[in-house]
Amino acid sequence: MYEEPYKWVEAVGNRRHYLDEQFTQGSPVVALAYDAGILMLTVSKGTPKLYEIYDRLALGGMGHPADLEKLRFSLLEMAHVEGFNRSPSDVTGSRMVKYGIAPVIKQAFEEVFKAPFIVKILLAELGQKPGKDIFLVINYDGTFEEGPHCAVLAASKSVEQDMLAYLRKSGTMQLPLDQAVGTALQAWAVGDRSQRNALAAENVEGAAAGSPPPDAAGLYAYVREAVAEKTLEGAVLDRTQPGSSKYRALTAEELGRLLPQDIKKSSL
Amino acid sequence: MGMQGDFFQLLKAQGYQFGAAGQAGNGQEFTTATTILAFKYRDGVLVAGDRRATAGNMVMYDRTDKVLEIDRHSVMAIAGVPATAYEMVRILEHSFKYYRRTQLQELSFEGKLRAVSKLLKDNVAAALAGTGAVAPIFAGYDFEQESAKIFFYDILGAEFEGVEYAVSGSGSPTIRGILHYLNTWGDQPLHAMSEDQSTIQALRLLTSAAEFDSATGGVNREANLYPVIKLITRDGVRTLPEAQLKQSFEASVSRFV
Repeated sequence: MYEEPYKWVEAVGNRRHYLDEQFTQGSPVVALAYDAGILMLTVSKGTPKLYEIYDRLALGGMGHPADLEKLRFSLLEMAHVEGFNRSPSDVTGSRMVKYGIAPVIKQAFEEVFKAPFIVKILLAELGQKPGKDIFLVINYDGTFEEGPHCAVLAASKSVEQDMLAYLRKSGTMQLPLDQAVGTALQAWAVGDRSQRNALAAENVEGAAAGSPPPDAAGLYAYVREAVAEKTLEGAVLDRTQPGSSKYRALTAEELGRLLPQDIKKSSL
Repeated sequence: MGMQGDFFQLLKAQGYQFGAAGQAGNGQEFTTATTILAFKYRDGVLVAGDRRATAGNMVMYDRTDKVLEIDRHSVMAIAGVPATAYEMVRILEHSFKYYRRTQLQELSFEGKLRAVSKLLKDNVAAALAGTGAVAPIFAGYDFEQESAKIFFYDILGAEFEGVEYAVSGSGSPTIRGILHYLNTWGDQPLHAMSEDQSTIQALRLLTSAAEFDSATGGVNREANLYPVIKLITRDGVRTLPEAQLKQSFEASVSRFV
């Protein structure tokens, strides 16, 4: 039924539509450079979404946990075999994405008879020096983007743009960790909020497409409410960490200490 | 998947070969010989090794690092053929990391010991051919038992626990007796010594080994050459800086030489 080119294009279009819907309820992921490394932050409903991949590589994901797990394993395999056969400095995020998982994701997306990966991936690579960090984002169709300073995952491109705009506006460069946690939380709230607004607008025909994001206090109030039955998940690639592995998951206690006062006041 | 986080298995599945027997050439001398030691002190385990690599009568290198950090809580000291030993260390390092990152939990201390034995077992052919014999000491912090531990191995992979101490390498017979004497009739048993006291003892032991074994390198103050000493405690592995070794050596070792 897909042998004609037109039908194939139509099938891929349907697939896009189907996949877009799978992410509408997902929780955004924020990654940004802070003064000693890279911070990743998200809110999860149980299954973790942030992982260690290699000495200087961390993964954040959105989508189906089983698909994320599959891709996480292939990244781990690739990174460790490469790091062993060559050297840890040859294990770069850009190689892992370009020659590793991006083609796999693209192929799965275009093979319309098979199931695609329901997954969006963020790969953060800690540079040898501050300012040399690299952030890679791969979409469900295998397209990827590379950039410095920060990156996010969210339900749609427009939400991602809102979040990135917010991060850029807050001047995220080289903040100490506690301030970076605050900024990341605000950006998460901006994203989650506009996702929910978009969803509501879709359900209620003709509803307003969402109001502009509130100020920091408003965003914290939003986070307080949203996080109530969920878990705040954070991890860092810490340049000052001794030894070769720079990844460290932030413990609940550590996150509690780093959280902005405005949030702590009432919720913790 | 189905690998259960086994990096060595993954390597083999990719065609990697380890421990194949090579033909030992006639009269060929391989880089070997060493003194490595480990003993328990008050806060954990101290692991130390000299810096010399020799092939027959020749000194190949005088700044070898034979005490290698595998991860934040374990150290392997190597005696034997360095080519094989370094390869083992690299495999172990990647294996432990791979396990932690795939399984989302640290490999248990027992699991780490198994990994060392397994590598040595796979290496038997090379060990017997003479091209790849390695007799390491593996020490680390065991979080289940909440104590630092020492294990040593023969070249076939037999595993022994060094309850108080362990030694390996060509210079080890000299210091094995000293360790026994110190531990039994010294002012205090080894495990009661402070960090400073154990550092001094380690330097004295390696200096004694170098005195009687030409294949063990001693301290060379002109070249600022000191042994490698690492300490393993609950907080992780720490390498003693050269400045500290120099100070301990000058204050409490050199006047006895």
